[in-house]
Amino acid sequence: MAALWPDNPRLIGEGVPRLDGLAKASGRAKYPSDERPDGLLFAAVLHSPHAHAKIVKIDTSKAEAIPGVKGVHLIANEGATLRYHGEEIAAVAAESEEIARDGCRAIAIEFEVLPHAVTEAQALADGAPRLTPRGNTQAGRAQEDGDPDAALKEAAASIEGEYSVPVITHVCLETHGQVVRWDGDAKMTVWSSTQNVDGVESEMAGAFNVPATDVTVLTPVMGGGFGSKFGADTWGVAAGELAKKTGRPVWLFLDRVQEHLTAGNRPSASAKLTLAADKDGKLSALIAETAGTGGISRGAAFPLPYVYEVPNSRRQHTDIRVNGGNARAMRAPGHPQGCLIMESALDDLAEKMGIDPLQMRLASLAEQDTVPSGSGEPLNRSEIYREQIKLGTEAIGWNQRKSRAENAKAEGPIKRGFGMALHQWGGGGRDDKQVTCIINPDGSVELRSATQDIGTGCRTVLAQIAAEVLGLKTTDINSNIGNSQFPPGQASGGSTTTPSMAPPAYNAALEARDLLFKRIAGALDAEPGDLSIGEGVILVKGEREVPWKDACRKLGTMPINVTGSFSEGLTAQGVGGCQFVDLTVDTETGVVKLNKIVAVQDTGLILNMMTWKSQVYGGVIMGLNYGLFEELVMDPSTGLSLNPDMELYKLAGASDIPEIDIIPFDNEQMRKRGVIGVGEPPTIATAAAIGNAVANALGTRVPHFPMTPMNVLNALAKA
Amino acid sequence: MPPEDHKAPAELPRPGHSRRDFLRGSSLAAAGAVMATSAETAMHEARADVSETDGVAIYSGTCPIELKVNGEAMSVTIEPRSTLLDTLRNRLGVTGPKRVCDRASCGACTVILDGDAVYSCTTLAISCADHEVRTLESFETDEGSVPHAFHQNDALMCGYCTPGFVTACQAWLEKNPGQEPTLDDIKQGLDGNICRCGTYIGVFQAALDAAKAMKKGGA
Ligand code: FES
Ligand code: FES
Repeated sequence: MAALWPDNPRLIGEGVPRLDGLAKASGRAKYPSDERPDGLLFAAVLHSPHAHAKIVKIDTSKAEAIPGVKGVHLIANEGATLRYHGEEIAAVAAESEEIARDGCRAIAIEFEVLPHAVTEAQALADGAPRLTPRGNTQAGRAQEDGDPDAALKEAAASIEGEYSVPVITHVCLETHGQVVRWDGDAKMTVWSSTQNVDGVESEMAGAFNVPATDVTVLTPVMGGGFGSKFGADTWGVAAGELAKKTGRPVWLFLDRVQEHLTAGNRPSASAKLTLAADKDGKLSALIAETAGTGGISRGAAFPLPYVYEVPNSRRQHTDIRVNGGNARAMRAPGHPQGCLIMESALDDLAEKMGIDPLQMRLASLAEQDTVPSGSGEPLNRSEIYREQIKLGTEAIGWNQRKSRAENAKAEGPIKRGFGMALHQWGGGGRDDKQVTCIINPDGSVELRSATQDIGTGCRTVLAQIAAEVLGLKTTDINSNIGNSQFPPGQASGGSTTTPSMAPPAYNAALEARDLLFKRIAGALDAEPGDLSIGEGVILVKGEREVPWKDACRKLGTMPINVTGSFSEGLTAQGVGGCQFVDLTVDTETGVVKLNKIVAVQDTGLILNMMTWKSQVYGGVIMGLNYGLFEELVMDPSTGLSLNPDMELYKLAGASDIPEIDIIPFDNEQMRKRGVIGVGEPPTIATAAAIGNAVANALGTRVPHFPMTPMNVLNALAKA
Repeated sequence: MPPEDHKAPAELPRPGHSRRDFLRGSSLAAAGAVMATSAETAMHEARADVSETDGVAIYSGTCPIELKVNGEAMSVTIEPRSTLLDTLRNRLGVTGPKRVCDRASCGACTVILDGDAVYSCTTLAISCADHEVRTLESFETDEGSVPHAFHQNDALMCGYCTPGFVTACQAWLEKNPGQEPTLDDIKQGLDGNICRCGTYIGVFQAALDAAKAMKKGGA
């Protein structure tokens, strides 16, 4: 049987500062957007100024005539229909970025402006323009479980509610883009800001009809993706075309406006629903009509019911198309939406029944919710939730929570409220990825894989694993990732990167160690079986210590180079978490102020406590942005986005950050489960918990997210 | 790009606007007049093409200027409209400061200009001729330094906002030597920066640690 994770690790689980942290903090790390190969041209993209328009005529001659403009590439041609504000039309490469922008401005286009529908209401209205031949809506298959109508009749209580959350965008700080250099006619180097170096390699190879072996995609570090950076995209291909045409490397990154409008979004979600429970507060029926828009594409599906067991349910979901950019996966696709709708409704039902919403949650967990364990027994996730809830309620001080009615009666304009929510996620690994481990005769050790570090600390945890096996320090390992020529690496999506890459890294290091023993045993007058690893040394028969470097020197001139793959027992999937919020709302201004957030999270074996915590903090903060601030605002009359920027598209700054208490749900049983990804789960429940705390504070539900002053005051006016 | 591509001209009397002044809301109208004069001098010195229409000077073409970056004199040819950020990143290869919002709202492009933290994305390079520009590449990195504190506290994830936070922090500490800031001071000092990965908690601790180390070092 393949090896399992060590029982008493020296490094695994420790908080080790990330290997590239100082390079990033001193401005020395080179991001794809920082690459400046010799002879570089800068490119800019021209995008649609209309929500819906046809290109009647396009003339690039004026642009081409500008001194310094070296190439123009059309992404959309004459006759093409542009379907949203921000859709790409052309790219211009020039000696400077300023000139490239001049070039974009000089492209003359005659548009036939078409009627648009940029909001769900516009797309559904009578006489709305048809955005696809099949119309503007696409209904999913109705999903039905049990007999919801009968269950509703028998229920002790029910509520009818409407909840919604708008479209938001990823706002990657490094915008989408790449630098492309042709090395001769048929080879290409691409410095790409991507979360999928292998995917970009095959896309670029396909687009230019060159063998994938001749395309090298490099992503040593990258400035955020959150699910939006899996592909080469039209602009990647445009950069390749421009580089080919001009014979010079081309830098092309979107500007901030384009990043908001064309580089992906998290679809909106809305629900009209009836939720019912029996007299003990156990959910019994859910009947829901849901909808959402991911812009011109589909992709607005989300899970419902969510987390809780609802034995009788009927749900009909409709995707609505509007003149907006395409949806892309965004950190836990669908889950934040499903979570905030489910948790809001549950909370409102508990309120109506006069039950503590915590009790309703506990009563409504499935009796058995089995999740796997890598090397232990399968677990009941409902039990995990119960223990987590205990930790969370203590940390937030849930016993201070008052009912909505009591809070509403409290004196003065400032009201305090508490809320909570549960979430779940998969986070398992794939079994087809590889890592190479090289031990050189000078004692240096290198790991190689085509995976990338999207900011999670993946580079560091792989090194930590190898260092654990070889008795070295994490900093002794050159963790070389982000190169598509290396063994196949996992794309950073679905919280699968670390669980996909940790097993092959572990196995590669173990095999390298065993081969090292075999190759140097003779020179140490021993049998391979006599050798073992100590800290920085090779032990002969458990006694004689040979310093690591001296031992490696015995390799002569031939390094060790082995490639490890996946094996069973090292990973699992299926995590749970819960979050709690304590906040105050000013009922005169509608401003919500967070006091404290508690996040309890399970993700199996935690490899690096420091980077793990950073991910959970980051998830919570992204979640609080979703709960309080974010919305891409579309103007119904012009069809344009009103806030494709970073001041009116609001994100939390330092002063918006409350006390955040992260509680790792970490015990022997969890560690036995093996590695599970944590990127996504901790961002799911935050907005839902905030919404519930606001409702608790105000004594009334604010049904539309985010909890902005406008939405809060509107709800108060209606109450 | 084109419809929204309005670069804000530098409207303040000194090169670059101090982030704090900016937040307080400076009197733009009065400042604009002063700028016209100092920009004019800089332009003439830099020998850009200058023509006059109805008494208004119009600058065009390219002009060579001298910038002092991280203690080094650098010659560079720019356009009058080139921002300090784009000049550093695209023409001088100084890529530590990042371009994120390009309009003074995120702080990723922060540099230290004559001792003040400024947004280099909304500072014209031409106005910085003969002024002292420092970017984070020039900061100390060993124990006690700001970058070191960021690293040790894992105050970064993707790291793209990090140069701005590190620089804002460094500028704050230099302006307030020997002080031990409170958490609220730190939050206020860093309110001109945005992190999408959500590294604020680590950033606060890094700033507190760096301040403590600096106080010790200075005492
Ligand atoms: S890039 Fe200058 S403030 Fe955002
Ligand atoms: S670390 Fe990624 S944006 Fe701050």
